[in-house]
Amino acid sequence: MILGRVIGTVWATRKHPRMSGLKLLVVEPYFVYQPAHDVDHLVAVDTLDAGPGDDVLVCLGRPARRLLGGDNFPVEAAVMAIVDRSQLVEREFSDEVARPLCPLRPFSPARVEWL
Amino acid sequence: MIRGTVLGQVWATRQAAGLIGRKLLLVAVEASDRLLVCVDTMQAGVGDEVLVSFGSGARNVLRPGPDNRDLLCDAAIAQVVDGSDDGAG
Repeated sequence: MILGRVIGTVWATRKHPRMSGLKLLVVEPYFVYQPAHDVDHLVAVDTLDAGPGDDVLVCLGRPARRLLGGDNFPVEAAVMAIVDRSQLVEREFSDEVARPLCPLRPFSPARVEWL
Repeated sequence: MIRGTVLGQVWATRQAAGLIGRKLLLVAVEASDRLLVCVDTMQAGVGDEVLVSFGSGARNVLRPGPDNRDLLCDAAIAQVVDGSDDGAG
């Protein structure tokens, strides 16, 4: 799973029939992750009613489809949880690695408690 | 599988039904600082070095066997590492 912040939504009229009714969120991961494509944001299906500004856990791959109730959805990222609180060891992350993926957005997960 | 160090924990009230009751830890990947959220079944704690499985390996940590595709998990802690001799641990 990946920890990220919801920064927006995506909607469409023409879409795959199995995507109809699915709410899509743009999520910007905190910390570097290794996506299949050379991008620094994700679009994830949301079933938990998250919104912009929320910190969420995004699950990738088959479990994301299972969340929607089957294996035959054209989906590989879904919001699994809306984070209330996190605890993290305070530590120096190297610049390149801890670069908040959007340089204007500092690392500030909701209610993080530094250890 | 990868090695990493537990750096923290995450709590959530609103979550997918399959995740309820699971402990979620933030794990920094060895030598990269990439941060993952992993399901923990081993009572790992902050500072522990762990081995993380992905994909079906992660589901096999939670429930071994062929019928575990319903589990909602893409990364799970498979071991809490005691020691290694490659000079990195």
